[in-house]
Amino acid sequence: MSTVLDQLVSQPYKHGFVTDIESETAPKGLNEDIIRMISAKKNEPQWLLDFRLNAYRHWLTMAEPRWPNVNYPKIDFQAISYYAAPKPKKKQSMDEVDPELLKTFEKLGVPMHERAALAGVAVDVIFDSVSVATTYKEKLAAVGIVFCSISEAVHHHPELVKKYLGSVVPVQDNYYAALNSAVFTDGSFCFIPKGVKCPMELSTYFRINTQDSGQFERTLIVAEEGAQVSYLEGCTAPKFDTNQLHAAVVELVALDDADIKYSTVQNWYAGDENGVGGIYNFVTKRGLCKGRNSKISWTQVETGSAITWKYPSCVLLGDNSIGEFYSVALTNHRQQADTGTKMIHIGKNTRSTIISKGISAGHSNNSYRGLVKIGPRAEGARNFSQCDSMLIGARCGANTFPYIEVQNPTAKVEHEATTSKIGEDQLFYFQSRGIGTEEAVSMIINGFCKDVFQQLPMEFAVEATKLLGLKLEGSVG
Amino acid sequence: MATLLAGSDAVPKSPAAWFDALRAAALERANALSVPTTRDEEWRFTDLTPLTKLQVRPATAATSLIAADIAGHALPEASARLVFVDGILVPQLSQAGPLPAGITVLPLAEALQSHAVLVEQHLGKIAGDELFTALNTAFLNQGVFIHFAKDAVLKAPLHLLFVAAGQDVAAHPRVLLVAESGAQGCVIEDYVAHGEAAGLTNAVTEIAVAPNASLRHIKLQRESPKAFHIGTCAVSLGKDARFASQAVTLGARLSRNNLAILQQGEGIEVVIDGLALIGGRQLADTHTLIDHLKPHGCCEQVHKTIVGGGAHAVFNGKVFVREGAQLTDSSQQSRNLLLSDKARVDTKPQLEIFADDVKCAHGAAVGQLDPEHLFYLKSRGLSERAARNLLTYAFGAEIIDRIPVPTLVAKLEKLVMQQTGEKAGDGA
Repeated sequence: MSTVLDQLVSQPYKHGFVTDIESETAPKGLNEDIIRMISAKKNEPQWLLDFRLNAYRHWLTMAEPRWPNVNYPKIDFQAISYYAAPKPKKKQSMDEVDPELLKTFEKLGVPMHERAALAGVAVDVIFDSVSVATTYKEKLAAVGIVFCSISEAVHHHPELVKKYLGSVVPVQDNYYAALNSAVFTDGSFCFIPKGVKCPMELSTYFRINTQDSGQFERTLIVAEEGAQVSYLEGCTAPKFDTNQLHAAVVELVALDDADIKYSTVQNWYAGDENGVGGIYNFVTKRGLCKGRNSKISWTQVETGSAITWKYPSCVLLGDNSIGEFYSVALTNHRQQADTGTKMIHIGKNTRSTIISKGISAGHSNNSYRGLVKIGPRAEGARNFSQCDSMLIGARCGANTFPYIEVQNPTAKVEHEATTSKIGEDQLFYFQSRGIGTEEAVSMIINGFCKDVFQQLPMEFAVEATKLLGLKLEGSVG
Repeated sequence: MATLLAGSDAVPKSPAAWFDALRAAALERANALSVPTTRDEEWRFTDLTPLTKLQVRPATAATSLIAADIAGHALPEASARLVFVDGILVPQLSQAGPLPAGITVLPLAEALQSHAVLVEQHLGKIAGDELFTALNTAFLNQGVFIHFAKDAVLKAPLHLLFVAAGQDVAAHPRVLLVAESGAQGCVIEDYVAHGEAAGLTNAVTEIAVAPNASLRHIKLQRESPKAFHIGTCAVSLGKDARFASQAVTLGARLSRNNLAILQQGEGIEVVIDGLALIGGRQLADTHTLIDHLKPHGCCEQVHKTIVGGGAHAVFNGKVFVREGAQLTDSSQQSRNLLLSDKARVDTKPQLEIFADDVKCAHGAAVGQLDPEHLFYLKSRGLSERAARNLLTYAFGAEIIDRIPVPTLVAKLEKLVMQQTGEKAGDGA
């Protein structure tokens, strides 16, 4: 049983390769000059430079968080290069996009234009830190939707960026958010005006490519009154041996009756079976349900990264607003994940649902950390949380740290957690029906994660199912 | 910090050198620590600032209480009763027996001489070295040593009554209980107040249960609404041991219950019941830790709180399943009932599992009385108030009814019914 398991667990990373594109890289280290340089390179207005410098000065006064249930050597923030851009070159159409880059996407099984055409997905391609190709822009522009890189947005829609940037995740929010605010290089900006339903699913593919260049993405999505949008984020990264730091910030703002759905599939390089290399993924994601009846839904499938530190959260400020969090986190080998969510109920009749599924295999450690906070004015607030863990093998760990803070008697909060393993009797049952061990395991795991996969858009659900199978190939028996 | 250590220099020397060394080490440790703040994860929701403002000192003078003052606290079922007033054992108020063969109950000072080996083997070895435990050890002078010899059975419970009477008094009572293999028994720790004095009780209980022994520990705390109560109970269990802990918290302005249970052998069965019923400005904090170190361990825990007025209940339940502790079956439930607008609950059931073949579940729920249940009772002619009290009482009774001491259950039921009325009334 365990040998098959070991084989499954020890699959090499299938997306590990380095694309050979010249990139313009900033010298290593971080100081005000580097920030001024980034700002100047990107031709930014003064207010944004001030925003960055303010964040940097806050960051200097802050300490690295030590409370997560993860271990890693101290990060030398002066040994990181904070800016890397593909060689600047104007591009008129997709044909002019570097064929190397397109090939990269093909290797990942994401033929961009084909996919875009077939699935009706507009892909804002992020390669390292600068957007190089954006499709479907006109189609979106026709209904008034702005979907572009955040640097473009700074130039074309400064009033929107200025109004909402840092409004959900303030610069002094936490150590990594402050760092991101100081040095973020690019990311996506999306604005859905009043009453508009986005006609297609918006998608960004993030890739980390230049060795040793930490990536600091900034995403800002604003849905005005009655607007609706579904946003997909997917990640894979080439194989490297040195750790790469990734500290992204994602901010969502939903006004009255708006609905934002944010889905992520994350499969960054997790290091080899001994825990060498791999991405450090320290991300701050937060959505603000600012208006009445607004809704923000997070769905994530986390399978990669050496260390994941990520709590997509919802601040339910508007009355009757809804927050949702659906998560599958899979860790294998020496991976460590400390992930979960925060649901802050402030408005009346706010509702939230948390479904979290953790799967640990190998020597990995998987923690769910969640906060459900019901403020004194959140009359009739309602929360339901369920976090289930599955352990594969006897050397991994599964932890849950749910914080529940209730200050209103009309609130109803429920939390449930269970732990299980793949039973020998379950496997025996499958085998007696002629289904091999690997397939049986994959089916059991898919069943375990079904509640979450159902929330993903169709193409993503297929990808996620495959990804879990791939990650655990040979690991269970 | 200095205020908490006031009077530590006055602790008399003991006949045993190791004992003096233990106290000195604890004093050094307490001196090195500072009073935890809400920035410490373990005290995140419990602010100790009001305690640091108190000028407390250990009691020195003999008590003026007479038997009539504590008669109301007597339990007819008890086989023996030891009475401590402000942390000092009062022989004239106690009833030491008769106890069956194999059961020894002695003041700690006497046990240091008669049972030196046993005391040295266990004292200070089970409870950790957290600040309040260190403080208790630093002031260690008064306490009780209980020994259950091999296969000794104590049918009637042992009643330890701790009375807080003096103003600004710090009591640091210590209980050391050693149960040899096959022994059986029940010990009740009963913390009460005489008058409305504000003081600190900082109790530490250490329990060592040998293989196959079976022990029940009942703790009842109903100190004055001005008092501070910190209670730590640490239990070490051997193979196939059974242990039941039942704790009911009704009193004190600020109370903290620490319960740590280490399953050191295979096949141990543990049951933990907890109930806190608070109102006004009270704060009741319960921290439990169940450490499954060996396979085939079982633990079933239910912790309930009923919170009225502007009170604040805190629960943190850690369950660890260590590597190799396969076939562990552990469940934990935190159930919380909020009775008023200003009441507050912070609960954190925490599960850390490092073995794959285990069954673990935890759950937490916070809510108010079900309007449908209220409606049902009102349709049967009960007033709103009576219906609320009855439902609230029933919520707590689930825990109380499991205590196997009838007069204690009757006493608690009366208290809870009475407090339910008062406490629910605060905010409703």
